[in-house]
Amino acid sequence: MTALRPPRHRPDPRAVWWWTLQWLVFAAVLAVVAGALWVLLDPWWPAAAGGALTALVLVAAVVAPRAQYRFQRWEVTDQAVYTRKGWLWHTWRVAPMSRVQTVDTEQGPLQRAFGLANVKVTTASAQGAVMIEALDHGLAAELADKLTAITHATPGDAT
Amino acid sequence: MTSWQTLSRRSLGVTAVKSAGIAAPAGVVVARVASGLDWPVEGVVAACAAAAVLVVAGALVLDVLWLRATRWRLTGERLELRSGILHRKHRSVPRERIRSVDLKADPVLRLFGLAAVKVGTGEHASGEHDELTLDPLARQDAEKLRRTLLSLAGGQPPEGSLAELDWAWLRYAPLTVWTVAGGALVAGAAYKPLDALGLNPVKNGLADALWEWITERPWQAVPLLLGLNVLVGLVGAVAVFAEYWGRYRLEREPGRLRLTRGLLTTRSLTLAERRLRGVELVEGLLLRLGGGARVKAVATGLRKKDDEDVDDVSALTPPMPRELAVEVAERICGAPLPALRPRPAAARARRLRRAPAEIAVVAAVAAALDLLWLPSWIWLVAALDVPFSLGYALAEYRALAHGLGERHLVTRYGVAARRTVALDRDGVIGWTVTQSPFQRRLGLITVTATTAAGAGHYDVVDVGAEEGLELAARAVPGLLGPFLTTR
Repeated sequence: MTALRPPRHRPDPRAVWWWTLQWLVFAAVLAVVAGALWVLLDPWWPAAAGGALTALVLVAAVVAPRAQYRFQRWEVTDQAVYTRKGWLWHTWRVAPMSRVQTVDTEQGPLQRAFGLANVKVTTASAQGAVMIEALDHGLAAELADKLTAITHATPGDAT
Repeated sequence: MTSWQTLSRRSLGVTAVKSAGIAAPAGVVVARVASGLDWPVEGVVAACAAAAVLVVAGALVLDVLWLRATRWRLTGERLELRSGILHRKHRSVPRERIRSVDLKADPVLRLFGLAAVKVGTGEHASGEHDELTLDPLARQDAEKLRRTLLSLAGGQPPEGSLAELDWAWLRYAPLTVWTVAGGALVAGAAYKPLDALGLNPVKNGLADALWEWITERPWQAVPLLLGLNVLVGLVGAVAVFAEYWGRYRLEREPGRLRLTRGLLTTRSLTLAERRLRGVELVEGLLLRLGGGARVKAVATGLRKKDDEDVDDVSALTPPMPRELAVEVAERICGAPLPALRPRPAAARARRLRRAPAEIAVVAAVAAALDLLWLPSWIWLVAALDVPFSLGYALAEYRALAHGLGERHLVTRYGVAARRTVALDRDGVIGWTVTQSPFQRRLGLITVTATTAAGAGHYDVVDVGAEEGLELAARAVPGLLGPFLTTR
C-alpha cells in the first residue's frame, strides 16, 4: 500500500513549551473574559460557559502540544522541501527547489524567549509559503543559508 | 520608424462627438435651472447652446494640447512615449519584453477609423512601467504596429483559427442567473438615474399603485410581472452576448493566442502561451443543462489590477456547444484531454453523511424562527431542504472526477458551476496533501496541486488515499515519489 512516509526530522523539543505557552495565553484571555461576565452579567450561565471553555483550553494546553510534537516533521533534500503538520487535520506539503522564490527565517516574541525560529519557503503559488516551524534558531539560520544555496544552484524560473 | 510621431489628428473628431454626448445632459440641466428662473424661451435656448458649446470647445482645446504634447517612437530596441500637458512623462518599454499588444475601438473611434493600442510586458510584478497606451492611432497604423512589435511577418496569415463565432450560440446567452434576475436588476439600475431626473417611482405614487394592483389581483399580476422580468432578462442577456462576443475569433499566432471580439466596441487581445498553464471548462448550472460550456485560460499574471480595465483575457470563448468547447480546449492544450475517473464510493458516503447535519441546522433555524415570530409555514421550507440537501450531496459527488493526460492533470468539481480544469503538469509547483479525521476513517485524502497560474491551487477532493498519491507522483515525476513508501 502506497503512503506518504514521515519526513526525517522533528522540530526542536522546546517547541512543546512554546505551543503550551500559546495555549496558556489563550486560556488566560478566556479566563479574564469569563471573570468579566461573572462581574457584569446577572445570569450565571454565560460566566459558567466561559469557565468551562477555559477548562477545555487548559486540557488542550496539556494534550495538543504533545500530540503536535509527535506528528510534526520536516525534511530538506537537494530536490525538495517536505513538511508534515497538524495533529487532527494532517497536512503534508512538498515544494520543489526549482520553484522556490525566497527563503526567510522568522521569529515571534514568544519564540525568541525559547530560542526558536521558523524557516519560510515561498513559491509563486497563491497557496502560501511552506513553513518549517519551531527549529533551534541557529539551526534555522543555517538551514535557510543551505536552502538559498541549493535554490541558486538549481535551474528553474520559479513559476 | 525611428522618428518621433504624433497620435492621429482625427482624435479631435472623436473628442468633438464624445463631448457633444456629455454636453447634451449639461444642456438639459441648464434648461431645468433656467425654466425655474422664468426666462423667455429664446434665453433658455441660448443658455443651453452656450453651455453645450463651452463643453465641446473646452474638450477640444484640451485635446489639441494633449495631441501637441504627445509623441511616440519605435526604435530598434525600445518603444517610447512622451506625454503630459503640465506633468511631463517619458515612458519607455524594451521591445524584447513586450508580450501583448491589445487593440480597442469603441463605436466613435471606429467611425473615425481609429483604435487605441495598449502595449504590455505581462510582468505585472515589475511595477508601473509594465504597460503603455497609444490612444488613438489610425486603424491600419495600429494593426501595423501590432505586427511589428510582435514580430509577425507582414501580411502573413495567422497559424490557424481555433474558433469563430457562430450566431447559433446565441441560444446559450440566456442560460445564466442574470436572465432570472433580469428585470429586477434593470429596475434597480434604473432607479438612481430616474431619481436624479425627478421621476422617483416611490415618491410619485407609481410604486404604491403597482403594489395595490398586485395585492388586488395576485393571480394575474404575479405571473405577468415574473414573465416581464424574465423577458427583460432574456433581451438583456442576448444583447450583452451580442455586444461582448460579436465578431468573436480566436487564433493561434506563433507563441501566443489572439482573441478578437466585440460588436460595437471591438477588442483585440493577446495572451502569450509562455504564460498559459492550462485551460478550464466552465459549465454554469443552466448552461450545462442546455448542453453548453465556456473555455477559460489558466494563466499567470492575469489577476485583476486596480484600474478600470475590465478586459478579461482569460475568457477565451463564449458559451458554445460542449463538444466544441472540449475540442477548442484540446487544441489550445495541444493534447487530448484524458478520460476522467469517478471518486470512490466513500466520497459519496461522506457527502450523504454530511447532509443530515446540514438539515439539522436548517431545522434548528426554522424552530427558532417559529418560536420568534414567523408563521408555521417556515417548517415547509425546512422540509423541502431534506431532498435538496441529499440531491446536492449526490450532485456534488457526481461532479467530482479526475484524470491524468500525457501533458495535463485534470480535475472536475462544482455543482453551481461545474469546472473541469486541465492543468499543465509542468505548471505544478508543489503539492499539498490534507486528511481530516473523517477522511482518515474513510481512507480518503485531498490532493492539491499548487501553481503560479489561475486560482493558485487546484484540488482533487476526497480521492482514495492510495490513488491520490499515485496520481500526484505520476503527474510530476520525481517530486512526490521520493517521499512515498509501499507498506
